[in-house]
Amino acid sequence: MARGRIIGGLGSPHAPSIGVAYNTGKHETPAWKPLFDGYWPMQRWLAAKQPDLIVIVANDHANSFFFDRYPTFAMSVAAEHEIADEGWGKWPLPPVPGHPDFAWQLAHSLVDQEFDMAVCQEFPLDHGCLTPLTCFFPPERRWSVPVIPIIVNVLQPPIPSAKRCYDLGRAIRRTVEAWPGKLDVVVVGTGGLSHQLGGERFGFNDTKWDNEFLDLVETDPERLARMTHQQFMEKGGAESVEEILWLVMRGALSPKVRRVHRNYYLPMVTGFAQVIFEDLGGEAGALEAA
Amino acid sequence: MDSKTQAGGRPRWETEVEILPIKSRLIDFEHPPAGTYLVTGRRAQRGYRFSKFCMSFMKPDVRAKWKDDAEGYMRDFGLSEYEKGLIREQNWIGMVRYGISPFMIFKLSAAFGVGQNRTGAAMRGESYEEFMKTRNVKDAS
Repeated sequence: MARGRIIGGLGSPHAPSIGVAYNTGKHETPAWKPLFDGYWPMQRWLAAKQPDLIVIVANDHANSFFFDRYPTFAMSVAAEHEIADEGWGKWPLPPVPGHPDFAWQLAHSLVDQEFDMAVCQEFPLDHGCLTPLTCFFPPERRWSVPVIPIIVNVLQPPIPSAKRCYDLGRAIRRTVEAWPGKLDVVVVGTGGLSHQLGGERFGFNDTKWDNEFLDLVETDPERLARMTHQQFMEKGGAESVEEILWLVMRGALSPKVRRVHRNYYLPMVTGFAQVIFEDLGGEAGALEAA
Repeated sequence: MDSKTQAGGRPRWETEVEILPIKSRLIDFEHPPAGTYLVTGRRAQRGYRFSKFCMSFMKPDVRAKWKDDAEGYMRDFGLSEYEKGLIREQNWIGMVRYGISPFMIFKLSAAFGVGQNRTGAAMRGESYEEFMKTRNVKDAS
């Protein structure tokens, strides 16, 4: 009998400028081509694999939520996601379909596994989800795969630990694998590598660390899972703490993965990286709850 | 003058960039990387109303109201004189120190027609042109 399975994980930046560049046809310009050349293999991979569901892990940028009540972990059970107006008008995109049946099961299974998610029936998406999703499909195949967004707080400490995020990925894997029926799932980790967007340290980058991160997330994610936010900030800038979102993706995958794609580009203020990791089956990563 | 005000009558609460007295194994709040201001604790509490003001720019009717009468909108929102000063001066680094997330600031700077990298250059105390000289590619922000 067919069962749910994780078929792979994708890593992608989520800077809004990328989505805007694609939507305005700038992807072939010299400034943007080195980045978009990293998306075409992802489009081909998704077209070939035809997943039934994308679980995308992003952070909110004060668009889906506000500090009046700011969730540490939140997920959507909505059938459809509106496009957020971030302060300069909505992107001209249709609403993004969800997957309520699996999402409700995921909510129950995650809370059963002691990940206490905020469960949302209304969940307008911002560039955190929309930039990667926009670039993963040619416009005519938008939105051919339903999406469950998971949001992790990285804006207002306390921020969940890297290890907690890695373990969340493992809990997602267990839920997918228990699903009675065919469900091929791709998990997406989003966010920039090195960058800092506030303070005198604005514009901080470290290409060497970014590439080390890409090595580690593939081959030794548990080392990243032991890092503190202080270490992420010192190595990659304050906003690079969102690298913990990539650890949710990696935690959902098999201990060893097959890397079939990796691209890196640092044009302006953020280290942009894309990866495709194919799942090799078996148990999720071994890091146990302390 | 009570203990919460200093010379000039400006409340200390508004101007101190205090060391956050929070203990965490994940972040050393006494020693953040230089030039880094985390939005939590007293700083987040101080910045809350201002953040809510920034957030209001997600509504098209607020953006229209702002264009029409910025001073009136700030007054009606109940911002303090200090907060209004930060906005009038487009003092982005002042806002960060005050307790405003960069993602809130970008909603406000957009209303001034100022992009992310121009606010960033100003936070660094550089002109936009100086800042751009430190970047690899000029047309992909």
